[in-house]
Amino acid sequence: MISQFFVLSQRGDHIVFRDYRGEVPKGSAEIFFRKVKFWNDDEAEEAPPVFNVDGVNYIHVKVAGLFFVVTTMVNVSPSLLLELLQRIARVTKDYLGVLNEDSLRKNFILVYELLDEVIDFGYPQTTSTEVLKSYIFNEPIMVDAGRLPPLGPAAMFMQGTKRMPGTAVTKSVVATEPGGKKREEIFVDIIERISVTFSSSGYILTSEIDGTIQMKSYLTGNPEIRLALNEDLSIGRTGSSSYDYRSSSGGGAVILDDCNFHESVHLDSFDIDRTLHLIPPDGEFAVMNYRITQEFKPPFRVTALIEEAGPSRAEVLLKIRADFSANVTANTIVVQMPVPSYTMRASFELEAGAIVGGSEHTLRAKLTFSQESHGNLTKEAGPVNMNFTIPMYNTSKLQFSVIQD
Amino acid sequence: MSGHDSKYFSTTKKGEIPELKEELNSQYKDKRKDAVKKVIAAMTVGKDVSSLFTDVVNCMQTENLELKKLVYLYLINYAKSQPDLAILAVNTFVKDSQDPNPLIRALAVRTMGCIRVDKITEYLCDPLQRCLKDDDPYVRKTAAICVAKLYDINAELVEDRGFLEALKDLISDNNPMVVANAVAALAEIQDSSTRPIFEITSHTLSKLLTALNECTEWGQVFILDSLSRYKAADAREAENIVERVTPRLQHANCAVVLSAVKIILLQMELITSTDVVRNLCKKMAPPLVTLLSAEPEIQYVALRNINLIVQKRPTILAHEIKVFFCKYNDPIYVKMEKLEIMIKLASDRNIDQVLLEFKEYATEVDVDFVRKAVRAIGRCAIKLERAAERCISVLLELIKIKVNYVVQEAIIVIKDIFRRYPNTYESIIATLCESLDTLDEPEAKASMIWIIGEYAERIDNADELLESFLETFPEEPALVQLQLLTATVKLFLKKPTEGPQQMIQAVLNNATVETDNPDLRDRAYIYWRLLSTDPEAAKDVVLAEKPVISDDSNQLDSSLLDDLLANISTLSSVYHKPPEAFVSRVKTAPRADDEEFADTAETGYSESPSQGVDGASPSSSAGTSSNVPVKQPAAPAAPAPMPDLLGDLMGMDNSIVPVDEPTAPSGPPLPVLLPSTTGQGLQISAQLVRRDGQIFYDISFDNGTQTVLDGFMIQFNKNTFGLAAGGALQVSPLQPGTSARTLLPMVAFQNLSPGAPSSLLQVAVKNNQQPVWYFNDKIPMHAFFGEDGKMERTSFLEAWKSLPDDNEFSKEFPSSVVSSIDATVEHLAASNVFFIAKRKNSNKDVLYMSAKIPRGIPFLIELTAAVGVPGVKCAVKTPNKEMVALFFEAMESLLKFGCGVVSQELIDSA
Repeated sequence: MISQFFVLSQRGDHIVFRDYRGEVPKGSAEIFFRKVKFWNDDEAEEAPPVFNVDGVNYIHVKVAGLFFVVTTMVNVSPSLLLELLQRIARVTKDYLGVLNEDSLRKNFILVYELLDEVIDFGYPQTTSTEVLKSYIFNEPIMVDAGRLPPLGPAAMFMQGTKRMPGTAVTKSVVATEPGGKKREEIFVDIIERISVTFSSSGYILTSEIDGTIQMKSYLTGNPEIRLALNEDLSIGRTGSSSYDYRSSSGGGAVILDDCNFHESVHLDSFDIDRTLHLIPPDGEFAVMNYRITQEFKPPFRVTALIEEAGPSRAEVLLKIRADFSANVTANTIVVQMPVPSYTMRASFELEAGAIVGGSEHTLRAKLTFSQESHGNLTKEAGPVNMNFTIPMYNTSKLQFSVIQD
Repeated sequence: MSGHDSKYFSTTKKGEIPELKEELNSQYKDKRKDAVKKVIAAMTVGKDVSSLFTDVVNCMQTENLELKKLVYLYLINYAKSQPDLAILAVNTFVKDSQDPNPLIRALAVRTMGCIRVDKITEYLCDPLQRCLKDDDPYVRKTAAICVAKLYDINAELVEDRGFLEALKDLISDNNPMVVANAVAALAEIQDSSTRPIFEITSHTLSKLLTALNECTEWGQVFILDSLSRYKAADAREAENIVERVTPRLQHANCAVVLSAVKIILLQMELITSTDVVRNLCKKMAPPLVTLLSAEPEIQYVALRNINLIVQKRPTILAHEIKVFFCKYNDPIYVKMEKLEIMIKLASDRNIDQVLLEFKEYATEVDVDFVRKAVRAIGRCAIKLERAAERCISVLLELIKIKVNYVVQEAIIVIKDIFRRYPNTYESIIATLCESLDTLDEPEAKASMIWIIGEYAERIDNADELLESFLETFPEEPALVQLQLLTATVKLFLKKPTEGPQQMIQAVLNNATVETDNPDLRDRAYIYWRLLSTDPEAAKDVVLAEKPVISDDSNQLDSSLLDDLLANISTLSSVYHKPPEAFVSRVKTAPRADDEEFADTAETGYSESPSQGVDGASPSSSAGTSSNVPVKQPAAPAAPAPMPDLLGDLMGMDNSIVPVDEPTAPSGPPLPVLLPSTTGQGLQISAQLVRRDGQIFYDISFDNGTQTVLDGFMIQFNKNTFGLAAGGALQVSPLQPGTSARTLLPMVAFQNLSPGAPSSLLQVAVKNNQQPVWYFNDKIPMHAFFGEDGKMERTSFLEAWKSLPDDNEFSKEFPSSVVSSIDATVEHLAASNVFFIAKRKNSNKDVLYMSAKIPRGIPFLIELTAAVGVPGVKCAVKTPNKEMVALFFEAMESLLKFGCGVVSQELIDSA
């Protein structure tokens, strides 16, 4: 099973190091770091998450800019280890409020205490913040969240994980509020990652939604909660091929391709009334993950045009049209468009502010290049990536209401 | 608590240890706790605080759990280095294990198990026995894992004290956490034992299936993985198991999903009803696709597994190809895997869509990805006959973009397409020829030359085209030279005019007289002889019809595939290698430090050969127990190896020619290691040799007995270089009075022995008729000298200077003679000791040389000798001082053997 667990900073410093079995030769953290940094002698190429060096298997994920790594000598399930690493990161964050080098170093004793309960002799025991609370005695020392850049929705998918935006992020689940009293709160969010490919003529080629119902509970006494989803929700496409979408645009029913649930969720009445029963454990967790390839209307239409304007100049025209009703507003919008690597300068005019439904916005930018472009500008620029939050709106039309008994 | 823990990291003035000592003995609780924290902080940053052992242990007797945990953490770390002092803690441990607080009981047992000190282990037994029957499930689940810990330290003790039975009882525990840990512990013990310990019966099966629904996600994985060893009795039982496991596919934890998929796939083999199978395939598809919505790291693991699954059951995801389309922000390792699966799922129905995607990828920025996309188009063309034309037109479009590496890659795949569909698409050759001068990669060049030679009669200026390559013949890489040679011969046979005649003369001359590449030389001589004796025969051979190729370049061998499918959701399925190939841990119960060789050997062999014969799956029984997959040799002897000339002559891809087929070596007699007097008539001679950059054990058996000997197996004890057999020993049954000799490929760094380096190699050999024979061999370190050991003059100088002087050693070899500098240099180079420079020092010659052993350990060598006078002084500098003694041994033997060895090795390589 797991031989060692360690957390390294981006520079390769040990932040946490725990050896569970004493079978891996010394220096494994250094070997790992060198291997990851110079995969194939090429800093650009990313190392795969699972690899073997001299008989030692290294499995790692990157969370919040840190390497979470385990080593093992035997043929175990790497998905178990990868899930475990993500879960350790989440539990630690539940405890510390924020997860970064600083908070880990300040709380190293708590972190070691956690690691002893989470893993015994290399075997994962429990990663539920709720269960761990009865075995953990150290109190977290909070790092000042104010000093940290807020984890905006733009950062949400940067690590590949689905994180919850908003204020709840930096609050420890276990630490008591400064005032001494605990607020009874529960945060439930629907987070959807939408991938859409448009053809040059504006038709949708592929579209997909990866969604999560994310919950973070600060309730005391663990009451049971019921989460009622759309009544007309159905699961599994009836057609066997992804090419025939049926005529789904009809009644507006939400059809999920597939979904899965957190282990605390009871599905006894799910088939009848689409209600999830659960006693939310403390901490942040995904109640439900789902996947939709049913046709949907993307909230934005983005058109990007890049044109040569001379031997070493180009003009970018980026249009964003909000395709939702005028009574909702999208905010914290970040639009990213990679430009060719030899771009020296970019100047642009921008209409700032939130985007109201139905409106259209344009960004013009002038690029100056250090060399002549190879006539392949459209390839080297883009694609456009956009992050946004639209309160009380979601693309899949999935809805829920929380009922507390 | 006040302040930040990080303050414990800041050093306090000087004399930190005495200060801490004082604080640890403070009368105030808080102060003691703070002090322990400081000690732990120092420990985690690697400072040695072991001298505080007694003081820290004194803090152990406390009711404060926080403090107790800290002390335990310290104990685990330092008990090994202070075994005598660790005994001091035993009493508290034993007391704690009876504490009314279950947390303290569990903590005591958990910690004691982590202290790997023999003396403590004895005291662990009684508390462990109690805790296995504790009322509290938290204590029981901790005790279950503790049994595995104890087994790792002292297996005998575990068996003697009946802990295995206690563990098996826990499978029936009413708490699912306890069941899961008991299963995990038993599985681990089974892995390190060769006896059947943990066998799942139909009774335990139902227990485990029940616990499955209630335990944590991690426990579910333990249980599912154990269940995957269970062989259902019939189709009905298999269906029953699958039915109970299927709900796990809905779990949010990807590990649970993949482990469930593994069981379903395994049980499906037994299910006969096609309806049920179809239904299961349908059920598995959505969860497998959902895995691709997880973090990229998990996607990677999922994709590697899906790659195997679609090879076995392509229908499962046949309609889902779209989900494998690459997203622009996928990490490169995910993209590469997706591409591979897209090729596997490509069909006549979806090829248009797939080609559109590939074409898109082929214009992206990442060069490796682009290359792979171009190859993918070619592989689709070879796979799908009806789509071949469309694939080719996409390739031609790509060639027109004139991006250099795209063009080269396209030409490589088009060569394969020509092989697959002869006489179909030659019309495009003209387009290809336009890019001729842009080719600079050997493989692309070789492909283009192959095309020219193959279709010489249709290309008007084929002779001119080839001639343009001939000018640089001597500088070309071997791959291109070989193709040029064959292509010129083809051209000559097809157009025996004056121009080609001159070309063939030049090429044959170049390839025979002016080359030192034996492959090229041999091939040229054969052509030459063929052409000069019987040109018609040459035509029949060189222009013979070639067998049609198919796309199996990334298809796994079916037995390997089955092996890997049984290992779905493990590292093995990610690496696409059987577990034996990378798991090296041999866990026999270590008898302290004086591990007897016989013990290791015994455990390795206790697997009776009959087990291998009755077809027990190697993944479930063998492989885990020993690092050497000891298998029965294939019953009939492999056909005598044929010289593989035909393949070459037909101008096929060089890579197809098997190179690592172990051939029966011949050569001078090997040193006898087991005389027939000792071996009851069997004589064994062997020697480690290096061939083509690989290490082999050249071993020969002489059967002087009256019976047929068969079932030969071999095992190596742990040794300094971790040498182990890289495959099964292939010896066919040995008739009385006959002998057999074989080359056993070896792998290094598999079973390393700790301690000072030694050249001792202990070998055990057995057969079905005789007892196990043990004998000792010597590891010649020069077998490890790598082909990459050559250093540039400047880097040699730098390396020499950068190493401190106490890394320099020297030794006299009084009996060695250097009779000629050149001969010595050449002789040493044959053993990968490379000459760098020489100088004269009065009447002596000083030679500077370099060699390198794996893991990048270089040896910088200075040899001083007077030609013809006995006595050579050898000085060496290396970062790894421990290896110096072995190095001198190797050098001495290299210098002693002289020219006899040189000629022998030249014969081998020719």
